[in-house]
Amino acid sequence: MTSKNIAIDKTESSNPSVPIDDLEMIRITDLHKSFGDNHVLRGFNLSLHRGENVVILGKSGSGKSILIKCIVGLIKYDSGSLKVFGKEIKDLSHTDLDDLRVKIGFVFQSSALYDSMTVRKNLEFPLRRHNLHLKARDVEDIVKNTLQDVGLLHAIDLMPSELSGGMRKRVGLARALVLNPDIVLYDEPTTGLDPMTSKEITNLMMKTQEKYNTSSIIISHDMDCAKRTSNRMAILSEGICYTVGKYSELEKSTDEIVNSFFL
Amino acid sequence: MNQKKTINLLASLPKGLHAFFEEVGGTTRFAGRFLREIWFPPYEFKEVIRQSYEIGYRSLPLVGITSFIIGLVLTLQSRPTLAEFGAESWLPAMVGVSILREIGPVITALICAGKIGSSIGAELGSMKVTEQIDAMEVSGTNPFKYIVVSRVVATTLMIPLLVIVGDAISLYGSYLAININDKVTMTLYFQQVFEKVEFSDAIPSVIKSFFFGFCIGLIGTYKGYHSKKGTEGVGQSANSSVVVSSLLIFILDLLAVQITGFFGYI
Repeated sequence: MTSKNIAIDKTESSNPSVPIDDLEMIRITDLHKSFGDNHVLRGFNLSLHRGENVVILGKSGSGKSILIKCIVGLIKYDSGSLKVFGKEIKDLSHTDLDDLRVKIGFVFQSSALYDSMTVRKNLEFPLRRHNLHLKARDVEDIVKNTLQDVGLLHAIDLMPSELSGGMRKRVGLARALVLNPDIVLYDEPTTGLDPMTSKEITNLMMKTQEKYNTSSIIISHDMDCAKRTSNRMAILSEGICYTVGKYSELEKSTDEIVNSFFL
Repeated sequence: MNQKKTINLLASLPKGLHAFFEEVGGTTRFAGRFLREIWFPPYEFKEVIRQSYEIGYRSLPLVGITSFIIGLVLTLQSRPTLAEFGAESWLPAMVGVSILREIGPVITALICAGKIGSSIGAELGSMKVTEQIDAMEVSGTNPFKYIVVSRVVATTLMIPLLVIVGDAISLYGSYLAININDKVTMTLYFQQVFEKVEFSDAIPSVIKSFFFGFCIGLIGTYKGYHSKKGTEGVGQSANSSVVVSSLLIFILDLLAVQITGFFGYI
């Protein structure tokens, strides 16, 4: 099965808020990953350009989360090439990988907030570890500004257990943005939320993308979120990138697999 | 070729034995990684201090109460037997040597294996299941150093301190128990204890308690760090942390007795 790539039109997209240029932030070529006999990725190809939002759709268990975990080096891929900012992830040393990770924000499906720390400490944690020269006052300002951006300044001293699902997602997003990354990876950002909160999170993603000038890969089942945030959408099926295109193009597709996501 | 043969040999083992060897190998690799990473920066001093407070100071009430009761009960139970031989005056020395050499370190370590080992196993297991360890890693922090090294260092340093404090409280409990039937001043009691206790009684027991602490921290973090997905996995991590570290404490104690015997300290 071959990938049916539809050429990207950089002048017109579903989400026209941020200009897209030719600079490739991520290039994935023929990526393979297996767990024993379970071949999850069987030659996946995709690229992400600067300023672009790519939404990846796929059935549960199709390997979407595995894919973005490969991008940040949480999971090692078996073969193929995965370049972030032109650097092959597999070849990076631990230190180089840590340096690269600072430029990538990751929003986890479960938010993955450190539950022994307050919201403030959750945001301070990556900041203090990577900006040792920052004064306490500067750290405080960055944390407060980032929380202000996600509308949660009032929750700064709360513990994660005191937050609602939507608030946890917002803090997760704030933590991903606090180091001012170039790329943000979202793992099902609206899963488990009510439609109203999902909409709010989607708006927030678009607002923060504009402000922080990030490029994103978004894994989502939420078609409303996909429609509003995506410049391109990729469908992951049988371990390959089955097709890539704009929402409006894929929506009209007569292909059975593509269609199943729009029903 | 040799590696292939080894793999085939392992595969042919019964399932339980195979899992045992896998676990031993995994723990050894984990300990090796700890011993490699502890020497290189960044050093997580703040986290070590925080963990030392959590592990040491917060365990003090439990260790104190149990040590007090052990000292008290040991004295009350030993008294009739010694009285039969007219050797009641040996009671402080006998209790002192028993507590300092064996009962103090082993009981304290077992209590800590239950309290600290299970808490570390459950905490790390839940961090693993809720992707907090992954979150730490993607933010460019070495979770092994931050979570594992700091906790193992804290348990290694705190257990000997808890043992020393526990021994002192046990001896005080013993002093009170003696005073139920006799009237002995504290000065006289401790004089009788330290007449028979030597450095060769105390030092090996402190040294072995460092190993007990290391073992409790290592097993707790290993089980939690490799917790399987789901809440069941968290429970299993906490449970097996206690079981394995308690077992290892007895094995280490046995080895310690052999080693101190070899050097003529028994």
